[in-house]
Amino acid sequence: MGRATAPALEDLLPQLAAIAGVEHAQLRGETVSVLPADIHQIAAILRLARENGLAVTPSGNGTKMSWGNPVAPGVCLGLERMNALREHSWQDMTCSVEAGCTWTAMQTQLARHGQMVALDPLWPERATIGGIVATNDGGALRLRYGGLRDLIIGMTVVLSDGTIAKTGGKVVKNVAGYDLHKLLTGSFGTLGVIADINFRLHPVEAQSRTWTAEAPDPSHFEQPLRALLDSRITASGVQIRMDAERCALDIREAATPECLDDHAAQLTQFFDPIPLCESSASVWSARQDIFDRTGAAILKASLLPSQICPTLSQLRQWTRTENAEIAVTAQCNGLVDIALQAAPDAAVFLIERLRSTLCASGGSVVALQMPAELRSRIDVWGCGSNALPLMREIKRRFDPDRILNPGRFAGNI
Amino acid sequence: MLTVAQIAELRAAVGADALITGESQLQTYECDGLTNFRVLPGAVTLPRTAAEVQAIVRVCARHKIPFVSRGAGTGLSGGALPAAGGVVISLARMNRILEVNYADRYVVVEPGVINSHVTQRVAPGGYFYAPDPSSQSVCTIGGNIAENSGGAHCLKYGFTVTHTLALDVVLPNGDLVTFGSPSLDAPGYDLAGVFVGSEGTLGVTTKITLRIVKRPEVVQTLLAAFDSPQAAGQTVSDIIAAGMLPSAMEIMDTLAIEAAEAAVHAHYPMCGGLLLVELDGPAIDVETLMRETRALCDKNGATEVRVAQSERERMLVWKGRKAAFAAMGRISPNYIVQDGVIPRTALPQVLAEIERMAAAVNLRVANVFHAGDGNLHPLVLYDRTIEGQEEIALDLSYRILHLCVDMGGSITGEHGVGKEKQQALGYMFSEPDLATMQLIRCAFDPDGIANPDKVFPRTRLCADRSGPYKPHPLETAGVAEIF
Repeated sequence: MGRATAPALEDLLPQLAAIAGVEHAQLRGETVSVLPADIHQIAAILRLARENGLAVTPSGNGTKMSWGNPVAPGVCLGLERMNALREHSWQDMTCSVEAGCTWTAMQTQLARHGQMVALDPLWPERATIGGIVATNDGGALRLRYGGLRDLIIGMTVVLSDGTIAKTGGKVVKNVAGYDLHKLLTGSFGTLGVIADINFRLHPVEAQSRTWTAEAPDPSHFEQPLRALLDSRITASGVQIRMDAERCALDIREAATPECLDDHAAQLTQFFDPIPLCESSASVWSARQDIFDRTGAAILKASLLPSQICPTLSQLRQWTRTENAEIAVTAQCNGLVDIALQAAPDAAVFLIERLRSTLCASGGSVVALQMPAELRSRIDVWGCGSNALPLMREIKRRFDPDRILNPGRFAGNI
Repeated sequence: MLTVAQIAELRAAVGADALITGESQLQTYECDGLTNFRVLPGAVTLPRTAAEVQAIVRVCARHKIPFVSRGAGTGLSGGALPAAGGVVISLARMNRILEVNYADRYVVVEPGVINSHVTQRVAPGGYFYAPDPSSQSVCTIGGNIAENSGGAHCLKYGFTVTHTLALDVVLPNGDLVTFGSPSLDAPGYDLAGVFVGSEGTLGVTTKITLRIVKRPEVVQTLLAAFDSPQAAGQTVSDIIAAGMLPSAMEIMDTLAIEAAEAAVHAHYPMCGGLLLVELDGPAIDVETLMRETRALCDKNGATEVRVAQSERERMLVWKGRKAAFAAMGRISPNYIVQDGVIPRTALPQVLAEIERMAAAVNLRVANVFHAGDGNLHPLVLYDRTIEGQEEIALDLSYRILHLCVDMGGSITGEHGVGKEKQQALGYMFSEPDLATMQLIRCAFDPDGIANPDKVFPRTRLCADRSGPYKPHPLETAGVAEIF
């Protein structure tokens, strides 16, 4: 085995076609795209790839394929045919869904019983469940409902040797065995191919309202934000939107109408003298707008909630000095998405400066999407964890031949 | 057994005042809350720092000596049962709260800190630590991390893992590493997510960063009496179907009510099925939702519905519920506690089947459960002095767990697999599932020295030996109820 002796992809095409069907295995430039119909076909494809030392990139609709380090061409294993919502036990508030189902397709079906998976990922109409889980994506709703780690209750995964393994189950409360699904969530397809996922569900937010405050600089929001976070108001989203000129803070809360009236009054007090106005739910697309900026470097930064306002002010200062353009959405849980457009030297300088500032207090900056000219100059992950040797050992145990997205993840895992 | 030289190495690692080797003192550590499994360790160490934990683990790694970490020893599945002749690492002396950060809503604690002390510490700021296992007045955060502990209120607030931001861990090779961060989504695998609930088989945690939560504006607890647990269960389903998420929903059957009344005098209405519903949040919302809850209770034929009128009354309601296990001693000489989980909707069917199974072998089963998340605690009552009855009771308790798995549930919702349910794990998961979990185990602990022979089914084909319940010393002393 070994990549040096790997056969040409076209030679494997007939075997892949025999597994998934001729119309579902195609050569596309340097990669071969194969679309399995079920979990056993995934296992057969992985076994074949492993025997032949081929890199495998699991994929849904490809919305986040540019995230992480680039992967050598090989087999693109598309999950789009495995797209069924297999089970919706609405009285138990759980569901089981295949990885290739798009987010919106799943949510539409769950909504018939007034339920949802309480997460707001990017590009919900195109993005698939598997890709969202593999990249641990999620937006403003994380504040109230937690992230995927808190919403996934079970998973079926195929390992690089074709082993089909289940983890967790279909009940919300369950401590039997290791939570393999937590390891797979956010692992960028480096440990196994996620085939289906069980979620816990929440009721759809019946009545919600969004309020917005505007200020010239994020520093104006520091006091009101602190008061809001220290209050008993359970918002289901708080974000700061910032670019070079403007800055706004949005709050969404779901509750009974009486309670919303009461809280609107409290919020107005917190923000005084900054006026707080009711606004449209469309402000919550701001995060996706960041990721849609072509040509920009897209960064995911993580910091402590109390650092948000000072960090944003500082970032704005730095980008002005460097003649860079910036757009930011910051969730008040400390997850910040940044689109940065600058000359390459300035971009490198700004990213490294932000990274060293945040890492000093336990935060991080991941350069999720980067223009070609920056790719060789910036470490995508900036992972300084002292647990990296253990992470590499886990990868070695799960995927000893390194066929699953080799090198894409933190520490070149 | 440990050699003289190995004991000398341990002494060098922690000092003579933190090493126990005398047999009578070792006996204190021979079991946890599952008291009829007893194994004498070779030595008990009482480290004060992460560096000392590292030094102990390095001695163990060098000589391949099994080690078991331990908090207050309140676990109910034998997770802290020592390995014969091995080393126990008691974290009791690492009991400091290192940091309280209200601005970013977290605390940093050592593993020996008692669960309820976290809430006590942050209460002045208006915060609390949400996971509330019934043993919270004595159990430690380190043990909660090992078991991914829940409690009555995890229905709304989630489990220990939901509230764990970061962990310092001494790996089985002695390396000290950090998983996660107080800020979210640290790059790399979510090792904190895997470590929580790994029952001490992946290493020893020495420092934990936990989320704290703002106290809700109001908390109200409703009691509703029904003719049967099934009617109470239907009400739970209706509350969920109405889109409500109470902070807790608990059901007790007649036997459990009788026992709790005898022990605590909680003034429960005597009935076939008692439902407790706790709602919290903004006063306006709680008032509206409480009205809806009452209406649903009435719809399902509740014979009595009342809301605790004072904080004292509310605490008494919970005291009765939390004392239910220990109170079984008042109505039965011996009993076995189980911890199965089922999909909530299977509740009526499972209760009927448990009743049928118990009647078939002439035993009584009391039921106490976290109904909101389908976590049953069937208590199999029996009398050991009647020959053969203990075996029948044990067999029944395992068949109930198998029933839970058959209904699409789990063998454990919060007590862990430990020593007690190793074989049952093999009923719930297939061989490839278990082999995949072993990949994680082997990456962390290739020599298998961290809490060996726990969680996973033993290779030898023997049935599980569960424990009839015997009072824990803490319980006998009246310090705590253990569940």
